[in-house]
Amino acid sequence: MALLNIRNLSVSFSTRNGPFKAVDGIDLAVDRDDVLAIVGESGSGKSVAMLAVMGLLPWTATVTADLMEFNGLDLLTISDQQRRTIVRRDIAMIFQEPMTSLNPCFTVGFQIGETLKTHFGLDKKAQKKRSIELLEQVGITDPEKRLSAYPHQLSGGMSQRVMIAMALSSEPKLLIADEPTTALDVTIQAQILDLLLRLRHETGMGLVLITHDMGVVAETAQRVVVQYAGQQVEIQETRGLFRDPHHPYTAALLAALPERAAGRLLPSIPGVVPGQFDRLQGCQFAPRCTFAHPRCHAERPVRASNEEGRALCHTPLLHGHPYLWEGTR
Amino acid sequence: MSLVLEARNLTRDYTVRRGMFSPDATVHALADVSFDLEAGKTLAIVGESGSGKSTLARLIAMIETPTSGMLRINGVDLINATKTQRKSLRRDVQIVFQNPYGSLNPRQTIGAALEEPLIVNTSMAPTERSQAVATMMARVGLRPEFRDRYPHMFSGGQRQRIAIARALMLRPKILVLDEPVSALDVSIRAQVLNLLAELQEEFGLAYLFISHDLSVVRHIADRVMVIYLGHAVETATREQLFTSPQHPYTKALLSATPVADPDAKKERIVLQGELPSPFDPPSGCSFHPRCPRAFDRCKVEAPPIELKQGRDVACWAVE
Repeated sequence: MALLNIRNLSVSFSTRNGPFKAVDGIDLAVDRDDVLAIVGESGSGKSVAMLAVMGLLPWTATVTADLMEFNGLDLLTISDQQRRTIVRRDIAMIFQEPMTSLNPCFTVGFQIGETLKTHFGLDKKAQKKRSIELLEQVGITDPEKRLSAYPHQLSGGMSQRVMIAMALSSEPKLLIADEPTTALDVTIQAQILDLLLRLRHETGMGLVLITHDMGVVAETAQRVVVQYAGQQVEIQETRGLFRDPHHPYTAALLAALPERAAGRLLPSIPGVVPGQFDRLQGCQFAPRCTFAHPRCHAERPVRASNEEGRALCHTPLLHGHPYLWEGTR
Repeated sequence: MSLVLEARNLTRDYTVRRGMFSPDATVHALADVSFDLEAGKTLAIVGESGSGKSTLARLIAMIETPTSGMLRINGVDLINATKTQRKSLRRDVQIVFQNPYGSLNPRQTIGAALEEPLIVNTSMAPTERSQAVATMMARVGLRPEFRDRYPHMFSGGQRQRIAIARALMLRPKILVLDEPVSALDVSIRAQVLNLLAELQEEFGLAYLFISHDLSVVRHIADRVMVIYLGHAVETATREQLFTSPQHPYTKALLSATPVADPDAKKERIVLQGELPSPFDPPSGCSFHPRCPRAFDRCKVEAPPIELKQGRDVACWAVE
């Protein structure tokens, strides 16, 4: 059984102008020792879905799902008490900007110690010993000295390592990394990605990587979820996704990458992502899609089969060309 | 081909006060950087944060003056230029910044923002200015009704179009692009890159394209200069740099850049450590503490930029 199992997850926020569906029907499963990437542009709801799993959304959010299970525990009906003690120990999350995730007023040692005290009730001496171990594990040189450093004394890459050490301190079964390397330089990005993959191997934890960088996806993930305007448009094995994308959005996204372009002009996707108040009646991608036909504008598409990447499209692509699948004929 | 920009041994130092009891420190943000830029061509400057690439952008855009070295724009030496010469040169060099929201006045409509450079720098009549604004908006793909809207009403990609349009209002010869697409999503990034390519062709613009994203650089650049801690380590044509990089830092950068192809097998050179503090740069070659090929000489003597393997490279290990 999968570690994290989600069926038809939706999140809507109540706003002054009525409800806004930020996440609309997401299915995913993450196993131990698995790396799942969630890709999408800004506003595609990739972070919100994972915040819903963590229970970190504000009160204006309404979370609905057919199933949302972690390690056999139903996350929809769990009490706050249980969430704090069990879930927050077994699922850890790291965020995009390591600089703003750490409290500037306290030393690194204090902040790591705090999590150790909460989760394991360790005393001061044991906290220090374990903190040093953790910093060593994430590749920080001279860990004993670093414990008394304040966040402003650390570089971006170093802060992200500290955040990872804090996330690992509770020995989580699942680590959710929300754009962990976006704010970092490429050479540091390579170090952090290598570190995350190594730690996954050592501890056997599941890893969910939220990113917008197709290069990062290709080099780290085993499976990929592609999101567009709150919807999950495709889910596939990484290799298959890059070789034969089934949803027109995925195909267009890959074609728009400069490294895949042949000529001077890139095949760009016209238009913009639909905003909060112009979500469409039919397929959300229809106005920007090269293969759109009248039906795409009128009817919401249904998911294609597993072999077709569960593409949310009336005419999923096969080797770059749309075809009608059985259900629509 | 006409040279529009010549830089020789550009250096920029900053003096930083370090508190009441410590002496002031000097940071060499940029040291001895030389390059040429031709009309209609793109020179990309690649480096990590803290490498001095934005300092270079500010020097070229005449926001700051170099501590030493020579900078010649359109054949006019900037150091000895008169005030009127400088003023006219400022029209020839324009800059586009990374964050378009931060570079547009939130209280100014788009029409006013685009008109402002014309009011300041030219003696055009109001109707002419208005016409010029409309033409430029149409050229960069902004609809005429956007004219009376404010920056917050636009998406990131559109704001970057506005920033590009404003930079082009005075018909400059050189456009400095400081990470122009880093803040944009992939699909929007492609649109802006295409626009830049079209505009370059149409106006014969020279681009100084500053970026840390090598896949974008590979797409847009004619020549590439890699800088590390204020020093140019390798300058080569795009083909040379991407097919046979010579400097160990260039190699490491290329191998660290993720490639969107899961089947690509490549040798990963993961650099140890981080960029050293610019207050206390390493002796000799500034890259030697992280360099996999460093030997004794690298620690004591800084390598000069020399022509090796058909390109300019600063490394003792390169034959």
